[in-house]
Amino acid sequence: MTTHLEQELEAIKSKVFEMTDLAIESIAKSIQAMKNSDARLAEQVLREDSLLDSLEVEIDNECIRVLVTRQPAAVHLRFVLAMLKINTDLERIGDLSTNIADEAIKLHGRPALKPLVDIPRMGEIAIGMLRDVFSAITERDAGLAREIIDRDRDIDTLNMQVYRELFSYMAENPHTISHALGLIMVAKALERIGDHVTNIAERAVYYIEGIDIRHMEE
Amino acid sequence: MAEKIKVDKLTFYYGATPAIKNITLTVEGNTVLALIGPSGCGKSTFLRCINRMNDIIPNTRAEGDICIDGKSIYNPKFNVTGLRRRVGMVFQKSNPFPKSIFDNIAYGLKINGMTDRYEIESTVEKSLKSTALWDEVKGRLDESALGLSGGQQQRLCIARTIAVQPEVILMDEPASALDTISTQKIEELIQDLKKNYTIIIVTHNMQQAARVSDMTAFFYMGDLIEISSTGKIFTRPDMEMTENYITGKFG
Repeated sequence: MTTHLEQELEAIKSKVFEMTDLAIESIAKSIQAMKNSDARLAEQVLREDSLLDSLEVEIDNECIRVLVTRQPAAVHLRFVLAMLKINTDLERIGDLSTNIADEAIKLHGRPALKPLVDIPRMGEIAIGMLRDVFSAITERDAGLAREIIDRDRDIDTLNMQVYRELFSYMAENPHTISHALGLIMVAKALERIGDHVTNIAERAVYYIEGIDIRHMEE
Repeated sequence: MAEKIKVDKLTFYYGATPAIKNITLTVEGNTVLALIGPSGCGKSTFLRCINRMNDIIPNTRAEGDICIDGKSIYNPKFNVTGLRRRVGMVFQKSNPFPKSIFDNIAYGLKINGMTDRYEIESTVEKSLKSTALWDEVKGRLDESALGLSGGQQQRLCIARTIAVQPEVILMDEPASALDTISTQKIEELIQDLKKNYTIIIVTHNMQQAARVSDMTAFFYMGDLIEISSTGKIFTRPDMEMTENYITGKFG
């Protein structure tokens, strides 16, 4: 039998999933806009960010209401606390996608410095991580959540690679500086998105196992 | 949502002393209203005004009015027996009749004029199912209700109340004598019942009020200090006195 509390937690989970879909979409669209120099798509990303913002507020309010009116305990309590924090990470991912979209608008109409390979790859990894982290939550699979955290290293490596490559462009030809800096910003935004997904995976482990694995790496 | 109960400037006196003073509030249909406040604040008195249970106490009187579906229940021509069928009550201590489980529910049906055996049986079953008691007692309906556990007895009393299809259910600390699991069952039940009934519950347990109700009213020394949505009362009440009470500074 599902209790009323469980029904309410399920409703929160659906909203967080809805937000995840929106965050995934906004990463994908902003990268697409970068790749194809598509300013209209980039503007769409900027407009749609408000959906994430309003869901963030809604989910926060729902979590507060459940905390105060249902007094969840144990796994239910950990679920609400995890969702409250995951909510913030998802909203930040939305903001970072709009930063990428901003760069796409700035670079629109300028000849490409180089074909984009690593940046779309970073985006793909981040999207894959985000998809899987929600399977981990649904299936209550802490192993999968931990594995996702490891994948963040691939994004970090690619970020350093992009940085080094663009640095050499700038050193060779100072005219490329503003363009290259734009791309570095985009890579940095994707690197930050990876960090937020890592946070989400850590909260997932906390929800599933009740263990706080933050800052335990070293 | 439609307004089910409207209380207008209700003052109730025991002798010359007002136990509740100038209470005005409305309760919408199919919602749960929780009444909270320290002992002696008038919440039970208020509850009992809604089905005129206080009438039987000598030397008492009410001023002001209560309307259910727009009709004044304090109108001298109002049928009080009919009122108590429409407004059922569940008490703190479960009080099953010393009869079989079946007869506890069938009794109310019979005195309300139900004679068809099949109809009685199906109503008993339906009432027990809606209080989640059916699976626990279906094999022993003819055994004494006094053999049930405290939690089961209380759910039987709720089943007995809803069998006669009231519109409003008043509950006076229905779970205060029960253990955690039974309490949880009663709380779940209250949430389920509000689909069909309007419920007003008095509770000493603030967390319980927060868990089960849509609206919460805070009473203090016979005054209604604040009434608002439960979410609001427990996160940002308007009155400092409410805040002090729910944060445990007094009471």
